[in-house]
Formats: sequence, structure tokens, C-alpha cells
Amino acid sequence: MKWFIDILTVWFHELKRIIHDEGVLLFFFVVPLLYPLLYSYLYNNEIVTEVPAIVVDDSHSSLSREFIRKVDATADIKIIGQCADMEEAKEMMHHNNAYAIIYIPSSFANDIAEGMQTSICLYSDMSGFLYYKAIYSACTEVSLDMNYDIKAERLGGASERQIETFSYPLAYRYVPMFNTQSGFASFLIPAILILIIQQTMILGVGMLAGDERERLNKGETYYWTDNIKPVQMLFGRAGAYWCIYAVISVYLVCIIPDIFHLVHIWQWKTLLPFMATYLTACVFFSMALSILSRDRESLILVFVFMSIPLLFMSGLSWPVQNMPLIWKILSHLFPSTFGITGYIRISEMGALIPDIHYELTALCTQSVVYFIITCLLYRRRFRKNLHTADNNVC
Amino acid sequence: MSNNTFFALVVRECKRMTSRPLYLFCMIIAPALVFVFFTTMMSNGLPTDIPVAVVDEDNTSVTRQVIRNLDAFQQTEITAQYNNFAEAREAMQRGEIYAFYYIPEGTTEQALASRQPVVSFYTSASYIIPSSLEYRDMKMMSEYASGALTRATLYAQGLSEQQAMAVLQPIKIEMFPVNNPRLNYSVYLCNTMLPGILMLLILQITIFSIYGEIKEETAKEWLSASDNNIIKALTSKMLPQFVIWFIMTLLYMAIMYGYYQFPLNCSFIAMLIPATLLILASQGLALFICAMVPSLRWALSLATLWGVLSFPISGFSFPYIAFPAPMKALSFLFPLRHYFLIYASQALNGLSWHYTWINYVFILLFIILPFFVVNRLKTFLSEYHYTI
Repeated sequence: MKWFIDILTVWFHELKRIIHDEGVLLFFFVVPLLYPLLYSYLYNNEIVTEVPAIVVDDSHSSLSREFIRKVDATADIKIIGQCADMEEAKEMMHHNNAYAIIYIPSSFANDIAEGMQTSICLYSDMSGFLYYKAIYSACTEVSLDMNYDIKAERLGGASERQIETFSYPLAYRYVPMFNTQSGFASFLIPAILILIIQQTMILGVGMLAGDERERLNKGETYYWTDNIKPVQMLFGRAGAYWCIYAVISVYLVCIIPDIFHLVHIWQWKTLLPFMATYLTACVFFSMALSILSRDRESLILVFVFMSIPLLFMSGLSWPVQNMPLIWKILSHLFPSTFGITGYIRISEMGALIPDIHYELTALCTQSVVYFIITCLLYRRRFRKNLHTADNNVC
Repeated sequence: MSNNTFFALVVRECKRMTSRPLYLFCMIIAPALVFVFFTTMMSNGLPTDIPVAVVDEDNTSVTRQVIRNLDAFQQTEITAQYNNFAEAREAMQRGEIYAFYYIPEGTTEQALASRQPVVSFYTSASYIIPSSLEYRDMKMMSEYASGALTRATLYAQGLSEQQAMAVLQPIKIEMFPVNNPRLNYSVYLCNTMLPGILMLLILQITIFSIYGEIKEETAKEWLSASDNNIIKALTSKMLPQFVIWFIMTLLYMAIMYGYYQFPLNCSFIAMLIPATLLILASQGLALFICAMVPSLRWALSLATLWGVLSFPISGFSFPYIAFPAPMKALSFLFPLRHYFLIYASQALNGLSWHYTWINYVFILLFIILPFFVVNRLKTFLSEYHYTI
């Protein structure tokens, strides 16, 4: 019982330390509260619409005008101007920030009238992939639509069903699953939410450890030198971080997706054990890392830039199967790798515990390994400090 | 005499930098590792052999041919066959596949009888890149399969291939991705991400090195060593750091434009200039933040916020035109946004710098920003004490 009360004392002390440290509060509360809002707000439009484009219509026919009108009417593209030739169009594109040129050749209407195949050329600016995607899909849709009418005319007198079967003897259907509108926020925000937990925890815990180290160097003492074992220290502190982040996690994985209407179809019975394991792995990971922290600020420099490679290591944007082996191995060191994949599957894809078996096992292994490392490091430091304390007395 | 003190100050700064492994790590090891990480990870340009599955309930020689054709696409690799839809969906939830192609029973028979069967394909849109690549491959495959059937009928009626295509697809869309014909994903990410990460580190290290003087209570000594001339003190501190940042800039440019041959439709120098200005702008912004926010913690946090937010707000992944209006306005305050526009205009589209002169002006503004607040900075350096 005494053993347990000691842990509670450490737990309480640690919470008090956190509350009185402005810098730690910043990482534990302000960053997790604000960053997701900022990011979600930025990405909240989810998809690109009305990409500005320029038309060069050499055909000057009613068919070409129909094409332009229909493209302009799509949600993806907005025609901002027409030019006489390609040179003029290029100039206009670079000055007016348009992202595509739609070129309709002079033979366009004639080819169709003569029953020949004709083509429309799209030149797309490649500074962003989403422009390309929007332009391509809008023009393809319009062309398929017009092709249908042209075929109907050619097959004169055929029923709609006949035209349909003739042009598509085998019809197909595309279904994007989970993130049904292929939205950017639904793609990126869940990963950012999970990454924020790990990153802010490392920074906050690192700052607390650095603070302790600085105070120690100045000759101040620990508040716990009396009879408390390193393991109890470790449990007490880990408990404090865990409890704080349990609250933060509720905000991140329950409230934020709700506010910004992101896909979240998780079930409690899957999400709870998963998040609990993820938090445990993060807590021991940051405690083990905090040993590196010589002063209050250094871990900020070492760990903030890592967020971006970490996001990629999760395989969110570049498939894991295509990653060089060395980065794949490295990615296994970080809880965020499994946290992100696991959470996306649970939250967006409706996965259940058996589906995320691998991620859960990995997070459990990480928890155990980092727990042991932290134990060893704490014991070493504890002994060393007793030593120095003795020396000071002498 | 003054040259001598300046040189002594530079030596002093170099000693400070070598005194802590933190500088070595954040200025050389970390950026170099990140450059290598991103470029090697995406060295193929596009992911190849994305694992997908097939649910072939029909299982005839025709459907097997369709599956073989799909497998032959460079981006696609069929890693599994499932018996039904539910099994495939579960494999997707386990993350084993990114997409699957579903052929219901009776497809071949119905197609031969002109009853228009429907096949479908499903992609896991939570992963945008593999999902859109699989969408492209599977759509192309379906168009091809469908076209092959009609073409057979048309050929039988005596039409030439050209005539058949005209009947099948009167209007064809031809897409020309200008200057990145292979849709290399690495080109479009690394060109902004690598300078962005370097910029984040510059912001942090600059602030850390200035406030380090306050924290270690060496600020007064530093100022008096530079004859109480704040400009001299700052330049002597920024110069050795700048040299290292410049070398790191050369490194990422060498990796991208030299080793990986990313499109560079202007001269190397024409791109080195904005990259160098970006270093100076980051240092300028950091000094400005130092002067305006008199606390290491808050200055560092603000710089970090700026650095991290630079990535989304520069608009290289999620495009600028889809931002909410306030964010559009805010994006002008981020040097990386201007750098991205200059890069897209010069290196990608091969235009002259005239087209982006306004962005150069903005970057230059960041560089001169600290000169407006040097006195404020001096006061802080001589009077401020570090508190926890």
C-alpha cells in the first residue's frame, strides 16, 4: 500500500510541476489545441474546385463552344479567358495564374462531321498535382458525355439502351471507399492528429527532464530523493503524462473530426484499447528520449523537423511497400508509424481489433522495450544523483 | 582594427557552434539525413507495384485475361485473389491491399449476349496517392476491356482500326503535363519540402543561438567584444551560420538537380539565388522574432509555428486556390510560399524572374526586417535575463 501511495505522491508532484511550467503547458495543451484547428481550417475545403483555365479555340464551331461551355460548367474548372493562339495563351497563363490551357484544334468539328476521331489537348501546370487531377477528370467527363451524344446521332434511331450497350459492352463503376470524396483534409488530418500526440509529448516531457537537469546543475535537489525507488518514480510520472494525454486524445480523436466533418466511423471497443496502447508507447518513448535532453529547449530543435519525415514514414502518402528497407526499419522505432496507420484504419476504414493486430502488437512491443530502457536509465541516473548528493555532503 | 575584432567575433561564434553537438546535429547531420531520406524514398518518381487484389466470381478465360492485363501495368501488382467482396474489403482494412477489382458472376456470358454487365473497382481513398494511381490503371483497364469487345464487333463489320476508334471515342482527350511528363511525385514534393525543412532549422537555430547568449549570460560580453555595435555583433554571428546553411543548400540542389536530374529549366545560378535569399530571409525573420518576442520559449515556439505552417501554406500540396480567404492573405507572410512560386515559375516552367518579381520583393523584405528592430534587440540583449 505504501508502495502505491508513493507512486501517487510522485504522480501528484509531477502534475503540479507541469501546471506551474508555462513552457510545458504550451506543448501539452496549447499546441494540441491550436494546431489541429489551424490545419483543419486550412484544408477544410477538402477538394480543389474552379481551377482557372484558358481556352484556345481554333475550331470556332458550335461543337467546340459546347465543349467549352460544358467544361466551364463543371465544378472543377473555371474558364478565365480565350486566346487566339498558344503563345498568347501561355503568356496569359503565366500572368493570370491559370493552371491549364485547353486547346481545340481547327479540325475539331470537321473531323466529327466526317466521322473521324479528333482530339483535344490539355496542357497542365505541374506545380500542384491536384490541379492536374481536377483538369483531367473534368475534361474527360465532358468528352465522355459529348461522345455519347455524337454516337447517338451516328447510330440514328437506336434506343438509349442500344447505344449504351454498343459503346460499353462491359460497363464499369468506380467506388472510392472510406474517404469517399477523396478529400485532402480527410486524408491528412487524422495522421496529423496522431502525430501531434507523440511530438508534443516528446517536447513537453523533454522540457521537464531538461528543466530538472538544469536545476540539478545549479545545485538544486530533486523533490523525491527520499526513499522513492526509480520504478515508482517512473510509474508516477508516466501516469501523470498518460492522464493528461488521455484528455487531450479525447479532444483530438473525438471532437476535432466532429467539428470539421471528417470521416470517423470508429467503434469505442476498438478505439479505446488502441489509443490506450498508443499513449503508453508514446509515454515511455518520450521518457526514454528525455534522457537526451540537456536543457529545456534542445529537444525542440531535434524533434520538430522530424515531424515531416515521421509523417511520411507512416506510409500515408508514399506506400510502405515502396519504401527502401532502411527507412522501413527505422520507422519501426517510432510509435507514430503504427499509431497513424492504426488510427486511420479504425477511424476511416472501420477496422476492428483483428484488422490492426500487427499495429497493436508493434505498439505493445514498443511500450515494453521503451519501458525497460527508461527503467534502466532512471536507475542509473538515480544512483548517480545519490552519489553526487553524498559528495556534496562531504 | 575593426576588421580584426570582426574576425575575432567570427572565431568566437565558430567556437560556440563547435562546443555543442546540438549545432552539428541540427545544421549538418539532420538536414543531410532528411535530404537523403526524401529523395531516396521517392527515387522511383511514382510508387510501382502497388498491391491490389481481384475478386473474380466469373472465372472464365476472358476475365482471366483481363486480370493478367491489369497485372502487367507498371503501377499495379495483383497480390491476392479473394472469393468474395467481403474478404477483399477486410484485406483493405488490414492494409494489405490498396484497391481491388470486382468481376461478378456471369460477366462474360452477359457481355457476349450484349446485356451490358457491370464490373467495378474499389480503391482505398484514405491513401490518396495509391488510390488515384489505381483509379487510373483500373479505369484504363476497364476502358480497354470494354473497347476490345466493341472493336471486335466493328472489325467484323469491316471497319479499319482508325474508323473503329472514331466510332468508339469520337473525342479523345490528350493530356500534356508540362515539364513533368512522368508525373514524378518526388519532383513536386522535394522541391519545396527540402528548402522548407532547412528553413525550419534555420529559424530555430538562429533564435537558439541568440538566446543562448542570454541564457548563458554571455550576451554582455558578446556586445562589448563587438564595441557595443549590434549590427557588427549580429553579422559576425550570422555569417558563419550562413556559410553552413549555404553549403547545405548547395547539397540539396546538387542532389535534386544534379543526381536526380529534376527539371531545371533555368540556369543553376538562377535557382541558387532565390535559395540563398531564402536562407537570408529565414535568418531575418528569426532575428525579427527574437526582437519582438523577448523570451526564448515564446520566440522559439513562434518560429516553430511559422516554420511548420510554411509547408501547408506554401500551397505545394493542397493548392492555394482552395484555401479559405484569411489563409490566402496570411500566406504572404511566409517566405517559403514566395520561394515556391519562384521555383514553379523559373525551374519548372522556365520563365524569367520578371514574372515573380513581386515574390523577390517580399523575400527581400524579410531580409531587411531585422534592421528596423536592431535597437530593440540590443536592449534585450543587454538587459534581459533568462527565466524559467
